Amino acid sequence: MAANTVTDAVAAASAAATATSGGADAVASASVVPHTGFALVVDKIDWAVMVPLVYLSVLFLLAGIIWRIVVIARSPAPPYSPRIFPASRRPGLAALNDAFAMPQVRRHAPIFWVFLMVYHVAFLLLILGHLDILPGIAIMPKSSRHILGAGAVGVLVTVPMLYFIVRRFRSPNREVSVPADYLLLLLLLFLFLFGDLMSWGNSWSPSGFVMTKQDFARYFDGLARFTFADPRTVLHGSHYHFVVAHVLLAEAFFVVLPFSKIMHTFFSVPINLLRRR
Amino acid sequence: MDAATTETLKDLFKTRLNAAMRLYLETCTRCGVCATACHVYASDAQIRHTAVGRAEIIRKVFKRYFQLEGRIAPWLGEVISLDDVSLELINDAAWSCTGCRRCMTYCPFGIDTQMIMSIAKLLLIGADKEPKLLTMLADMSIAKSEATEETRPAFTQAVTALEPEIKALWPSEGPAVTVEREGAEVLYVALAGKHSIIPAAAIMNAAGENWTLSLFEAVNFGAFLGDPKKSGQIARRIHDEAVRLKVKEVAIVECGTAFRVMKYMSGAHPFKVVAFVELIARYAKEGRIRLDGTKLQGKLTYHDPCQIARNGGVIEEPRYVIRQLTDRFVELRPNREDNWCCGGGGGLVALGEKDFRMKSSRVKAEQMKASGADTITTACENCHSQLTDLNEHYGLGMKVEFLSKLVADALVK
Repeated sequence: MAANTVTDAVAAASAAATATSGGADAVASASVVPHTGFALVVDKIDWAVMVPLVYLSVLFLLAGIIWRIVVIARSPAPPYSPRIFPASRRPGLAALNDAFAMPQVRRHAPIFWVFLMVYHVAFLLLILGHLDILPGIAIMPKSSRHILGAGAVGVLVTVPMLYFIVRRFRSPNREVSVPADYLLLLLLLFLFLFGDLMSWGNSWSPSGFVMTKQDFARYFDGLARFTFADPRTVLHGSHYHFVVAHVLLAEAFFVVLPFSKIMHTFFSVPINLLRRR
Repeated sequence: MDAATTETLKDLFKTRLNAAMRLYLETCTRCGVCATACHVYASDAQIRHTAVGRAEIIRKVFKRYFQLEGRIAPWLGEVISLDDVSLELINDAAWSCTGCRRCMTYCPFGIDTQMIMSIAKLLLIGADKEPKLLTMLADMSIAKSEATEETRPAFTQAVTALEPEIKALWPSEGPAVTVEREGAEVLYVALAGKHSIIPAAAIMNAAGENWTLSLFEAVNFGAFLGDPKKSGQIARRIHDEAVRLKVKEVAIVECGTAFRVMKYMSGAHPFKVVAFVELIARYAKEGRIRLDGTKLQGKLTYHDPCQIARNGGVIEEPRYVIRQLTDRFVELRPNREDNWCCGGGGGLVALGEKDFRMKSSRVKAEQMKASGADTITTACENCHSQLTDLNEHYGLGMKVEFLSKLVADALVK
C-alpha cells in the first residue's frame, strides 16, 4: 500500500477514526487506491445517494406533508358531525387514545394489535435513535458507541413488518389490497433489513464495531453543515454499501410517504377526533 | 357513458370532498379490521360486503380523478374510471350498506363508511341510476309540504277518527289529539300509519303533555336516497312547522333515520329534538306516567336501532323504560353501540329487497334467537319491519313490538 496514494481526506479520517473509534481495524484494511472506471461511477452514485439526495428527499418529504395537510385543512367542514356514541367526555383524550392505543384493534384483532403496538413503539424508538445521532441532540450518552436499542429496535420493526406482509396475503386483506400496499410494505421491510444488516455488520470487527455512533454522527454533522463531503471519509466499514442502500431506501420512503397511507401518522388524531367530537 | 356525464359525476363527487371525507378517503390502510363488523359480511362472507370493500370502490374513483397517483401510476391503487361497469359496483356497494356505522367502532381511524357511501348514492343519482321508488317517495314528501292547504282537512279528519282508539288506551276529556296547535310544548312528528300515532298520543295524554301533531311524516326518504337537497327540504318542512307553532321541543316518532337527520344532520334548530323514547323515559322518571310492570308476559329483549343508539346517543333511556315494564329483560349480545344492525336500514325496507335483507341478516336472526326472549322490542319503524320479517323468515317464534306500544298498553290509569 503506497503512502503517496492515500488521499488527504482519507488520511485525516483514518487518523480521526483511529483516535476516536473502534473503526481502526476497518480503516487499516480499507482500500485507499483511487477508484477509476466503474468503481468511480459507483463512488459518484454513492456520494449522490448519501449527500444531495438526502437533502432533496427530506425537502420533498416536508413539502409533501405540508401540502397534503394544507389541502385537507382548506377543504370545507363536513355538513354534519360524524360522531358516534356513547359520547366521549373528553373527545381530545379519547381521540389520542384511539390513535395511540388503538382499542378497536385490540378488541377485534388482538394478535394484529400486539404486532402493531410493537411496531409503532419500535418505530418511534427508531426515529429517536436516528435523531440521537444528529449534532446537538443527546438522548443517549454521546460517548455510547451504540445507536439507541443496539440493533434490537431494528428487529422489533422488522418482525412485525414480516407479519404485516404475511397478513396481507391472507383473506380478507388480500382481496382489498392493492399493489401500493405490498410495495410499501416491501420498501419498509428492505429499509429495515438493511438497517439490521448495518447493525450486524458493525459486529464484524474484533473490537465489536466497524462504524460507531460517533462515525454516523460525523456523517450527520457533515450533512447538517452542508459540507457536501464524501461520507466514505468517515464511514469506514467494508459494508458501506449497506449504508448506502439503507439511505437510498430511506430516501424512497421519504418521497413516497406524503402520497401514501403512511400519512395516517399525521391524520390519525384528527380523523379519530371526528367520531369523538 | 359519455364524457359529459363523466364530467357531471366528477363535479358531483367534488361537492362531497369536505375535510372529513378527504380524511376518510386518504387514511384507510386497508388493515381489514372492519371486515367482520358488517352484518352483511358476517352473514354472507364476500369482500364486497365489507366496509373496506365498499369504500375502496369510491376510494379508487377518488384516486383516479382527484389524486396524482391516478394520473401517473394508476396501477398502484388499481384505480377505477367512471363508466357503466363501475356504476354497477357503486350501486352494489351503496345499496348493500345500511349505513349502520358499526364499522366505525372497529376501524382504528373511525372511518365513516356511510359518509363515503353518500358519494356512491350521489353518483347514482347523477347517472340517473338511483332507486326510483325512493325518489318518488322523497318527491311525494316534498310535494305534500307544498300542498298543506289541500291535504290538511283530510289529514285532520283521519286523525280525529283515531280518537276512540287513543282514548281506549288512555281516557281523556276533550280531543285526544290536535294538529298544528300553536303554542304547544311538544310537536310530535309521526309516520303515515296510525300505529305511530295512537300509542304515542295515549302516552303523551297520560303524561299531561301539552303537545300537538305534525302535519308531516317524519321519515326522510331523501336521506335514504342520498340526495342532500331532497333530504334538506324534507327536514325543513318539520323545522318550519315547529318554528311557526313556536314549540319548544320536537319529538320524533320511533324512526331512527328521521331522528338522526333532524337532530344531527339538518343544522341548528331553535327547538330541542328528541327521540320519542327519550320523552317516554323522561315522563317515567318525572312520575308523569306509571307503568304496570306485571302486564308483559315472558322474557323481553331490546334491539338498539343503529341511528338512535350508536349514531344518536339514545342508549340508556329505552332500558330505563323497559325496567318499568318488566323484570324479565334480557340483553341481546352484543348490545348498545355494538349491537348488530337489523339489516333493514338505509332504505332497504322501503325498497323491498326482502331476499337480500333476509340473507344478509342471518347473524341478526341468530342473535335474536340466542337471547331466548319471547318478545323483542325496538324504537324504530325500519327495525320493527325488518325484525318482523326476520322473525317470520327464520321461524324464530318471537313477538316483535314497538316500545311505545308496550308502554301504552302498560299505562296505569
